[in-house]
Amino acid sequence: MTLGAEPPAPGTRSLREDRERMADIEPGDMAYQLEEGLGRENLAGMPEDGEAQLAPGVEPQARSQWQLFRRRFVRHRMAMVSLVVLIILIVLCFGATWIAPFPKNNQDLLSGSLSPSRHHLFGTDRIGRDELTEVLYAGQVSLAIGLAVAFIATVVGAVLGSLAGFYRGWTDQLVMRVTDLFLVIPQLVVLAIAIRAIGQTTSTIALILAALFWMYIARVVRGQVLSIREKEFVEAARACGASPFRIITRHIMPNIIGPIMVNATLAVAGAIIAESTLSFLGLGVQPPATSWGNMLSDAEGVVGTPQAYLLYFPGLLIFITVMAVNFLGDGLRDAFDPQSHD
Amino acid sequence: MSDTQPAGAYVEVDPTTGPAGKAERRPKSAVGFDAGDDPNAPLLEVKDLSVEFKTEDGQVKAVQNLTYTLHARETLGIVGESGSGKTVSSMAVLGLLPKKAVVTGEVLFRGRNLLTMSERERQTIRGRRIAMVFQDALAALNPVFKVGDQIAEAINVHADETIGTDDERVIELLNLVGIPNPKDRASQYPHEFSGGMRQRAMIAMSIANDPDVIIADEPTTALDVTIQAQVLEVFERIQDRTNSAILLITHDLGVVAGVTDRILVMYAGRQVEMGSVDDVFYEPSHPYAQGLLASLPRLDRRRDGERLYRIKGQPPSMIHLPPGCAFNPRCPVAEVGVCDVTRPELVEVSPDHRSACHFAAEVRVGTRAVVT
Repeated sequence: MTLGAEPPAPGTRSLREDRERMADIEPGDMAYQLEEGLGRENLAGMPEDGEAQLAPGVEPQARSQWQLFRRRFVRHRMAMVSLVVLIILIVLCFGATWIAPFPKNNQDLLSGSLSPSRHHLFGTDRIGRDELTEVLYAGQVSLAIGLAVAFIATVVGAVLGSLAGFYRGWTDQLVMRVTDLFLVIPQLVVLAIAIRAIGQTTSTIALILAALFWMYIARVVRGQVLSIREKEFVEAARACGASPFRIITRHIMPNIIGPIMVNATLAVAGAIIAESTLSFLGLGVQPPATSWGNMLSDAEGVVGTPQAYLLYFPGLLIFITVMAVNFLGDGLRDAFDPQSHD
Repeated sequence: MSDTQPAGAYVEVDPTTGPAGKAERRPKSAVGFDAGDDPNAPLLEVKDLSVEFKTEDGQVKAVQNLTYTLHARETLGIVGESGSGKTVSSMAVLGLLPKKAVVTGEVLFRGRNLLTMSERERQTIRGRRIAMVFQDALAALNPVFKVGDQIAEAINVHADETIGTDDERVIELLNLVGIPNPKDRASQYPHEFSGGMRQRAMIAMSIANDPDVIIADEPTTALDVTIQAQVLEVFERIQDRTNSAILLITHDLGVVAGVTDRILVMYAGRQVEMGSVDDVFYEPSHPYAQGLLASLPRLDRRRDGERLYRIKGQPPSMIHLPPGCAFNPRCPVAEVGVCDVTRPELVEVSPDHRSACHFAAEVRVGTRAVVT
């Protein structure tokens, strides 16, 4: 049987005729219904939230990514509690002007070193300042530094990390070697020198801390971008004529917002602790500004005396804040992970 | 599919019948050309296109001396087995290959060489004048965006304005590719679509800017046959509507027979046969093409107990291609001293039907029998 040699039977010669005959068959309604039916089945069959059992006749409600995310997050009890705690802390600290029982830095030598009482809930320090008032005002600085550092570090880290991951090659080499450099330098020494050099204000401290926190986010983002850029939808975006900038910002970034957010919360906690450390060493914010860290530093001498509560309250607030932020990060990570079902 | 237009006879879409707002949307001049386009040049002309990848083991000659012309409204099928260079050659056309690929030759789109163009200039062509449909629609759709957003994005990339998920053009496009309840569907995510609908959504993205050329890379391979037929029907419908030319890359000869006007058969990165569907299917003139066709199960030629034809051996290594004709080691009619020495050129066996075989004429008429 030789294909080429066999003369085709008359009338069957043209494939085009076959096609024309087939063209009469419309993309029938039946086929479309079938399609649609398939789609529904998919939807209903998805035990997205363990709710596969749907009442008959009830159209399954499609949930958006955002709805799914919110649902999973709300179910994370510790994260929800942490979120509430953090919001209360932020409101209390930044509302200190109205909430605090005494004006800031209100010295009253006659009521110095008082233990916690009804009048002074957290007691007073040696020069008679109300500890509760001072802790709330100090919280403004600590929280502001934590959030600012996380924000700056995340933006810088995300930009550099995505450039390195997207362009690879020498861009990647350059960015990652700089990242390594920042990771290997002894941070405390550099901090000490830098702070002496550019001044010890709240904003310079935030900037310097941000310079020590962006690398972690850059590394995470680079890794994520490296994996996402190989996905076919990125190639599809290129085939659509999208520019590299558009691909990174509109097509890749939304896919890695989860890891970025999680690492941002970790940076908040890290920055608050780092600021406390600096303040304790006398390199932090300078009086009259106070932070939880330099309140601890001021209370250095009270260990083992009846005034030890001066250490407890700022310490406790640092502890609560850092724990809450970490739990929040935990909850975000679980909520962003599409594979996590409870 | 529709009749082939002669070179240069570009037919602009009638704005009253085309998708809503299409004529105004298209940032081209009224006659359908960009500045710099040669109206008399063929739509897409690939000349002597070669793609090489340098690897540690040697040079991979993925595509060699590929030459073809695609006219407006025409559907050209590129057929070949895995690794024959089908996809690489079409990626080269769009400039989507990684930088390490060495691309030589010419890809003329309306007379402008896409290979020498700046990346920025190519970006204005991709998606707007030459669009691509990918094989795996689930992978090619961004999982975190609503389908409507992605179709809107395909338009927004090339427009100054920004349209959203529920823009009427998005709905119109979804409607055009036959997605029921387009309004609701537009605000769903890719994972909520069935396979066939995802592929249609991909097609809707590709035709969003009313492109001149649609490159469809195995658009039906991941689909079952019923859905395949529907998707192919969508291609025919949009071609009638937009006058696009379609470059259909596939290894499914049934698909090719169904929808294409002309076929280009590739083997080991080289084109071995090219001609109209009727020519290639009824008078295959290359032993490889004949073997491919003979290996298809056919309802009208079935004999009980008879086995299907198979092409013996394996495709050659793309690093160490055999000398002479690449198909020579597997070819039942190869002649020692000819086929393993000289690389056959494409020769015309009948008008517009070419084959790269030393014995093309004999193979065509069957005096050199490949399949017995």
